Amino acid sequence: MWRIWLLFDPRRALIALFTFLFVLALLIHFILLSTDRFNWLGGHAAPSAAAQHMSTLPDPAAKP
Amino acid sequence: MADEKRGSLSGLTESEAKEFHGIFVTSFIIFTVIAIVAHVLVWQWRPWL
Repeated sequence: MWRIWLLFDPRRALIALFTFLFVLALLIHFILLSTDRFNWLGGHAAPSAAAQHMSTLPDPAAKP
Repeated sequence: MADEKRGSLSGLTESEAKEFHGIFVTSFIIFTVIAIVAHVLVWQWRPWL
């Protein structure tokens, strides 16, 4: 496996790898920030993934 | 091949390639461990599946 560095220049490979990982990380972070559930800066309560199933439960506020 | 005697495409010798590969693999393992820890923490915060 080490023979790959006889083919590819490590300097160029590292620059390409770091650039790719940085762009990918930036993309993923902005995608997450654009959502309600995974935005860690928005300050909204987390909408639970199971919230739609909770609608069948009795509403405690409706009880006398 | 005669090219192996005169040098590789990247210009590295075999020993240089092996040395760099060791550093690369070690760094990759460290990166992967950090990524796994981060994913475990995020999963505990809000699982996505």
